[in-house]
Amino acid sequence: MILIHCPYCDEKRPEIEFANAGQAHIARPLDPSGQNDAEWEDYLFIRANPRGRHHERWRHIHGCGRFFNAVRDTVTDKFETTYKAGEPRR
Amino acid sequence: MSDNLIRHEPVSDAPFVADGVRISLAPPMQRHALRARNAEDLERLLQVKIPRQIGASEGGIMCLGPDEWLLRADVDAPIPTGDGLPVAITDVSERSICLVIEGPRASEILMAGCPLDLNQFAVGRATRTIYETVEIIILREAEDRFHVEVWRSFSEWLWTAMTTAARH
Repeated sequence: MILIHCPYCDEKRPEIEFANAGQAHIARPLDPSGQNDAEWEDYLFIRANPRGRHHERWRHIHGCGRFFNAVRDTVTDKFETTYKAGEPRR
Repeated sequence: MSDNLIRHEPVSDAPFVADGVRISLAPPMQRHALRARNAEDLERLLQVKIPRQIGASEGGIMCLGPDEWLLRADVDAPIPTGDGLPVAITDVSERSICLVIEGPRASEILMAGCPLDLNQFAVGRATRTIYETVEIIILREAEDRFHVEVWRSFSEWLWTAMTTAARH
């Protein structure tokens, strides 16, 4: 079982306590009605899906309940780092 | 909770006893979910110290997350509602039941389904975690006594899982 470091609990916890919540650092447009269809589609549906280093949101759902960001390698499934939501991209 | 209502417990009232472990249902108690951005607001309201470290417990209050606590108290203890303050105090007394796991094999029974290393889990620590597939809250009351808070609808399954583990 993979151990994931929760930046809020500040300890490594078993992976089954966590849930993946998709790509990180996607900001909702401040003025949604000012977006055209292509921009809105881009915000809602278009994701990076890289092979390798990927920024993701994770939630410590069966623990402290918090969302945080993680850098994970999608090939090796190895977590490079995790950091609190709101902190700059690493 | 009204005295006029008949309590139906989802698990056996009689404790389960096996070699080195005893699993029993804790008496009814009050549970309140406390949420606040500043723990000071809760401290002023409840007049008790609120643990700040996630996983810490003090005076019946467990710190489950950065802004979330679980308060457990006697059924007749008065709990303020926090009207007008930037806090949320929600009565969740009947949401869960508490199983008491005690004896020298207590941590072994819990680790049969919970991935945490409870040998490293200090007395007084509390955390939300998972047992097989069921979400639970573990509180280590003493070296060989744990309290396990589990949602009522999951408790029958958890009872079966734990008593099965204890038989082996």
